[in-house]
Amino acid sequence: MQPELERELIRKCKAGDARFYEPLVRAYEPPALRLATGMLGNLDDARDALQDAFVKAYEALHRFDLRRPFGPWFFQILRNHCRDMLRSRQARFKLEALDENLEHRPEDAEKGPERTRQRTAASEILWRALEKIGYEHREILVLKELQGFRYNEIAEILDIPEGTVASRLFHARHALKDALDEMGAELP
Amino acid sequence: MQERVTHEDLMRFLDGELPPEEHARVQAAIDASTELAREVAIYRGMKGRLHALSFHPGTYHRSVWDGVHQHLTRPIGWILTIAGAAVWVVYGVYVFTASPVDLWQKLATGAVVIGILMLLTSVIWERYREWLTDPYRDILR
Repeated sequence: MQPELERELIRKCKAGDARFYEPLVRAYEPPALRLATGMLGNLDDARDALQDAFVKAYEALHRFDLRRPFGPWFFQILRNHCRDMLRSRQARFKLEALDENLEHRPEDAEKGPERTRQRTAASEILWRALEKIGYEHREILVLKELQGFRYNEIAEILDIPEGTVASRLFHARHALKDALDEMGAELP
Repeated sequence: MQERVTHEDLMRFLDGELPPEEHARVQAAIDASTELAREVAIYRGMKGRLHALSFHPGTYHRSVWDGVHQHLTRPIGWILTIAGAAVWVVYGVYVFTASPVDLWQKLATGAVVIGILMLLTSVIWERYREWLTDPYRDILR
């Protein structure tokens, strides 16, 4: 979404017109769902988290600085909400519904069911390893690898200095490598 | 003497976050060390596998907008309903008390209304207490 259009929509929302929030929700929904699914491990909890985070963000819009982009600010709210959900009884990282619906890729279909089966098995091992390494490591890997954020964006979302991102990524990758080793997964 | 390559340098190298001259320095160190090269290969492989987990939910997923919109507009609906009902109740009480009917009729009607409200409140309170102690309240049916 164009920054100027985004600012205009937020201005209208701040004025109290919720209709102008819809394009923002629809624009940020796919990456936000990917982030929440990565953090919570299942689509149902991710959808709940997403809905609550959008409501929270709308209610906090009066505090939003229009000179900043909406994305990192919103992802920070979502990340905090996912963390709260995991801390409370509402959710725990559980590998459900992370099936071929999410993993569906046209190129797999062309290569046949064996390719799809291999990919699904590999994905499951990886998801299980992500489950093992814990929330702190998982969130930074999700932000970097599933979302493809740059270090400065990750720093803003996690509210940490940019210099800390590389160090946290190292520890997270190291933990993932150990988890995969323990599970007997093949590493290059 | 070549500067040591830290783990952080290695991460920035893998993620394309190093300036060109730093990138060249780390690349040279990797070329000179089989241990570093092996480490980079492992992390690169993991990056690729993690990247393959990424998905595009847009086409399969029903938007959460309807739920968000309901949450945003519902409080306004409640405020309007409660405010309107309160005005009508106050007006109704005024009309009822100012009406020329006998006192016993006013008392009887008042008792019926207060009785119904008390019964309703006790049922709601009872349900609320049951909900608080229900061990299965977080289980999705």
